[in-house]
Amino acid sequence: MSFSFDHLIQGFATALSLQNLLWALVGCFIGTLVGVLPGIGPASGIAILLPLTTVLPPTSAIIMMAAIYYGAMYGGSTTAIVVNIPGEASSVPTAIDGYEMAKQGKAGPALAICAISSFVAGTLGLIGLTFFAPLLADVAVVFGPPEYFALMFMALTLIISLSGRALLKGVISMALGLMTALIGQDPLTGAARLTFGFPKLLAGIDFISVIVGLFAISEVMVNVESRITAISQKIGSWMPSWADIRQSMGAMIRSSGVGFFLGLLPGVTPSVTTFVAYDLEKRISKHPERFGNGAIEGVAAPEGANNATSTAGFVPLFSFGIPTAPSMAVLLGGLMMYGLQPGPMLFKENPDFVWAIIASMYIGNVMLIVLNLPLVGMWARICVIPFYILGPMIVFFSVLGTYSIRFLAYDVWVMTLFGVIGYFMRKFGYPIAPMVLATVIAQMMEMSLGQSLLMSQGSILILFTRPISAVFMALAFVSIARGIWLQIRSHAPEVAVEEVD
Amino acid sequence: MKTIRQADIGAGCFLALLGLFILYAASNIRVGVERALSPRFFPSVLGFLIFACGIGLAFKSWRFRGEDPRIHWPDRQGAGIVVVSLGMLAAYIALMKPLGLPLSTFLYVTASIGFLKPQKWGTAIATGLILGIISYVVFIDLLQLSFPVGSLLERLLEG
Repeated sequence: MSFSFDHLIQGFATALSLQNLLWALVGCFIGTLVGVLPGIGPASGIAILLPLTTVLPPTSAIIMMAAIYYGAMYGGSTTAIVVNIPGEASSVPTAIDGYEMAKQGKAGPALAICAISSFVAGTLGLIGLTFFAPLLADVAVVFGPPEYFALMFMALTLIISLSGRALLKGVISMALGLMTALIGQDPLTGAARLTFGFPKLLAGIDFISVIVGLFAISEVMVNVESRITAISQKIGSWMPSWADIRQSMGAMIRSSGVGFFLGLLPGVTPSVTTFVAYDLEKRISKHPERFGNGAIEGVAAPEGANNATSTAGFVPLFSFGIPTAPSMAVLLGGLMMYGLQPGPMLFKENPDFVWAIIASMYIGNVMLIVLNLPLVGMWARICVIPFYILGPMIVFFSVLGTYSIRFLAYDVWVMTLFGVIGYFMRKFGYPIAPMVLATVIAQMMEMSLGQSLLMSQGSILILFTRPISAVFMALAFVSIARGIWLQIRSHAPEVAVEEVD
Repeated sequence: MKTIRQADIGAGCFLALLGLFILYAASNIRVGVERALSPRFFPSVLGFLIFACGIGLAFKSWRFRGEDPRIHWPDRQGAGIVVVSLGMLAAYIALMKPLGLPLSTFLYVTASIGFLKPQKWGTAIATGLILGIISYVVFIDLLQLSFPVGSLLERLLEG
């Protein structure tokens, strides 16, 4: 794969045709809707619409599919901010500070910063995709199972540090999350694990049920018990101030880098990079205590990482035909449906097609910010809907979203159970984020550890003898040692940072 | 449990028992062909971790002698609202298959709003109707997602 201005300009000429512009706009609009609706994620959104695009020429169809994908990334944060329902794991860090801002009457600025951060990160990611894809794709193949395991292990140790004083509770939360993900069949051997004789548990526990339960249902329980009238009594300014933008600009740029470079690695999804970006911002902030209480950088960073990772995912998809996320796998299916085989030959055999898609992403990014900023006011108004109406609506959308994962009532029961667990975790001061991240990455961790041990004939030393994994493992152990040191010195009761009022 | 310390001691003991139970369950996992990573490995490590953390939490809280934050439990009325709301959610899930998503949504939303704000039954019925219709038109009819329609609505639509 090689970059040439001629190809890019030709790509823009194709993408700017009236027909392709129209389909990009339709894709952006549908994508935003898909992101906002909790019942349907980007992967299922694209999958549902894939058969309908057969009437379109291949380039227009894939332009529209790609627009749905990154449009959904824009829209995904809306429900996380206004009603504390992160529809996917990547929106969880956004919900931490975004929802706090909404409660303070600043849903508008939070949503606007999300849109701006997504635009900045999306554009920076696209520049990376355009110019550095060949070089970066080479780096990505150096990552084998030991590096993935070490990276995810490091991400887990970093996220526990978000627990503040409640380090032990952070570890417990993480361990319970990992345990939840282990319920069901072993991915390598198919052996039943922790099912306690209940056949239904063989289906495992989907992490969306866990996320929606822990966040949305427990939030509704806390709100109805205190009989609040609305999430926010006031709507402040809809747009962020210049001070807000200045304050979050650094976070946008840093998270773009974090999201893009980690997003090049197959298997590293936005659900991991958003947490890493959030943690990084908290660590380098002069006022880390603001995080969890409505820090605008805490909204900008995960959103930036989310979009940069999504854009970076196109590098392994186009260069090697490796999808980095379920929605990318559906996109890959779309490309193959049109007889296009992603991989190194794609750029040689179909340069017009590939560069038209890349050019359309620049245009789609601009379309999305133009489309989303005027809608900020409308979404922000959700916060002032009386809670006796909003609460049942949140439950309705949570049930829809959870049921639509596998169309099993069992998943909705699991969601309810985790709603109750989340309620008690809030009351007892347990952080929720480590549990969520652990649930999401547990299977990937186990798979990569299994593959690593296969490579090394059972020796765990493989994690410490390969340079990249050794660095990640060292950072993880430093993080653990620091946590233990802080724990020994701490003479305060264990209460999670998010819970301190 | 009125304070965080009391809750932590209780939760620590519970977690220690849970850890032991997981260790026991892990030892009963059937291992077929020997592999580099046994299916027992992760559950056993986690069982031990949960057990150790539970003991650690209970011990640390038992030794703690500083200012102990109180847990913000709801008053009697608030607790009642939570329990009834959860009961209505359970009924919603249980009725979703026999009645179908649209009808069970209508019933759940109407009953919930009516319960939370008894003066607003009109709003409750209107919101329930709107969401029930949306659930059918958008998710079942337009997006063709496999939500249960319910025999009653099916017969009504066929008729």
